[in-house]
Amino acid sequence: MKKRFAFFCLTVIAAVAFFFSGQAPVHAEKTYTIGTDVTFPPFVYANSNNKYVGIDMELIRSIAKEEGFKIKIKPLGFNAAVQSVSSGQTDGVIAGMTITDERKQTFDFSNPYYESGIVMAVSPKSGIKGLQDLKGKKVAVKTGTQGATYANSIKKKYGFKVVTFDDSDNVYNDVKTGNSAACFDDSAVLNYGVKTGLGLKVVTKPTDIGQYGFAVKKGQNQELLKMFNKGLAKLKKNGKYNQIIKKYTGAAATSSTKKSNNKKDAESNTFIGLIKQNRQAIGSGILETLKLTVLSIIFATIFGVLIGLLGVIPNKFAQGVSTVIIYIFRGLPLLVLALFIYNGIPSLTGSKIPAFVAGIITLTLNEGAYTAAFVKGGIEAVDSGQMEAARSLGLPFRKAMSKIVLPQGIKIMVPSFINQFIITLKDTSILSIIGILELTQTGKIIIARNLQGFKVWTIVAVIYLLLITILTLLSKWVERRIND
Amino acid sequence: MTDLKVDVKNLVKNFGDNHVLKGINFEVANNEVVVLIGPSGSGKSTLLRCLNRLEDPTSGKIVIDGKDISDSKTNIDQARENIGMVFQHFNLFNNLTVEQNIALAPTELGKASKEEAADQAKKLLETVGLVDKYDAMPRSLSGGQKQRVAIARALAMKPDIMLFDEPTSALDPEMVGDVLAVMKKLAKEGMTMVVVTHEMGFAKEVADRVVFMADGKVVEEGKPTDVFEHPQNDRTKAFLEKVINV
Ligand SMILES: Nc1ncnc2c1ncn2[C@@H]1O[C@H](COP(=O)(O)OP(=O)(O)OP(=O)(O)O)[C@@H](O)[C@H]1O
Ligand SMILES: [Mg+2]
Repeated sequence: MKKRFAFFCLTVIAAVAFFFSGQAPVHAEKTYTIGTDVTFPPFVYANSNNKYVGIDMELIRSIAKEEGFKIKIKPLGFNAAVQSVSSGQTDGVIAGMTITDERKQTFDFSNPYYESGIVMAVSPKSGIKGLQDLKGKKVAVKTGTQGATYANSIKKKYGFKVVTFDDSDNVYNDVKTGNSAACFDDSAVLNYGVKTGLGLKVVTKPTDIGQYGFAVKKGQNQELLKMFNKGLAKLKKNGKYNQIIKKYTGAAATSSTKKSNNKKDAESNTFIGLIKQNRQAIGSGILETLKLTVLSIIFATIFGVLIGLLGVIPNKFAQGVSTVIIYIFRGLPLLVLALFIYNGIPSLTGSKIPAFVAGIITLTLNEGAYTAAFVKGGIEAVDSGQMEAARSLGLPFRKAMSKIVLPQGIKIMVPSFINQFIITLKDTSILSIIGILELTQTGKIIIARNLQGFKVWTIVAVIYLLLITILTLLSKWVERRIND
Repeated sequence: MTDLKVDVKNLVKNFGDNHVLKGINFEVANNEVVVLIGPSGSGKSTLLRCLNRLEDPTSGKIVIDGKDISDSKTNIDQARENIGMVFQHFNLFNNLTVEQNIALAPTELGKASKEEAADQAKKLLETVGLVDKYDAMPRSLSGGQKQRVAIARALAMKPDIMLFDEPTSALDPEMVGDVLAVMKKLAKEGMTMVVVTHEMGFAKEVADRVVFMADGKVVEEGKPTDVFEHPQNDRTKAFLEKVINV
């Protein structure tokens, strides 16, 4: 029973892995996965077609073309992108990343491709003119950036508190709403933002000048690093490099973006406009959320029922295994579990997992643990006399369980199952942390581009409620069928 | 091999520190009806449950129909097919109809085809006087009806031995007679039976032997008339006085 169960689990996991890894295209040229930020204009951002553009994107694409290799861009967010390189999930990272001694411990950097310093930006309405005005105030920064390091290094001296966010968008918003008095970020980014109508103003001169580099994990993917350097040199020589920089920072570029921002604002200020404009992105986000939900529900139910059953068979060892599995996976926060599986497992085993598979495994384990707990509880809630009567007739444990106890237990469990399905649907949103482009991540990216936080989150929330309503109605229908 | 259907030697059963059975020796001959009596907590149910290993004995030997039940190598499921059990609280399968309750084990264990089992269920329901409940769900039955279905269910496996654990004590008084009537019929047909009950009338009329247990031991046993009218042991006397006074 135990062996068979373990075998079954492995088969399921292998099947999932196979199914999804089978979708990865096989090319003659080597394809490198490049992690990047979700939004860090002018270096990385999604344009209105949800295509990733910016200095970093154009550079890496041009270099790949120049040197004849293929790339797959993964907008994971700066932090996740950096982590996924060090865990081997991705091959390289280009995300306006400053070359520092500390980072050199874990990464090998290319030759610098851009120079930038740290500046401070404030809301134009605030009276803050410099660092000395920050005493007792809050300052917003983005996790893991040079701006954050700089802010932390001077916070004692100037007496302010540092608040960290995962996305630039949240950093700027916090300053605009007045929660934070100021933010620190790279000059190129902030200047670009200011020029394109971000609604902040820069009040300090660049300090802590740093150089941006493309990075790979220390000692790994050296050929990729060489190709990057070679390609970069070529681009600088043939003028393409300057062309790219100018395209994104020149006066013409920024003013045209500003204009299109304004134009876009006018037509997409309404909910309908926003939905229309992002129809495709939202549609594929919903699809991804549904895929995650359905597959996770199926696997979590199988996993949970098996672990739950393991907990009621008359064998101390099996019960122990069940209890421990439930304890661990119900105890771990979903977010931690997702990051652990996506980043941690590859560090241990040396092989990558696609984010989608990591997401399914995460939800299977977490939702499965909850399922196991109520499956066990449901079975235990069936009067023990039922099992005894069945066994006393000579029915083996499995028959007694499947014919008598389970059918009665399932009735008890049905409401918990429905509840768990709804929770699973909601929990898929947490998988945005590992860069899966589901509904929440889609929302984040749309906001990163148009800064319409309130409206976009409203749309996303309504869509979730609709999906949950459909799922609930479907479950109730099934419940009625079971009870008849 | 002797004519013994049940042969229990030096059976000990502990629940942790609670020593419930303290070395029981207990025999039942073929076709014999034995009534087990004794105060609450004396271990009657535990003894009965050890006979089909619903409880694992701590030590001692239990041989039923020549099979050593206490040996872990014995196929307990096969042994149980031959030992019917009727519970105080009936334990009918709540998710199945009356017919399915009776037919489940024979069909699942390959003893009969679906049709045969359904036929047999009907016949058994006739003997317990409940043919009209063939398609009923257990929850729609009265306690007495439930218990008669439970007896029919146990009989469907054609056991050699039937164990009854206080089959009438959860019933309203007016239901008791019907259930006892079924049990008497069984006894007359020569079924080997071990019955835990406080129905002294039944014991006097049907039992070949009465066994009095107290405090995890067999204290006294003999013909019903002997035990009831001339109890030897003080505890038996005390117990019988109480039961009769009730
Ligand atoms: N599963 C169990 N776990 C622990 N103790 C038990 C268990 N089953 C029975 N006991 C204990 O064993 C003792 C004997 O119980 P048993 O049910 O055999 O008595 P009984 O003679 O059938 O009593 P009654 O007439 O009340 O049914 C009691 O002290 C009871 O608490
Ligand atoms: Mg009892």
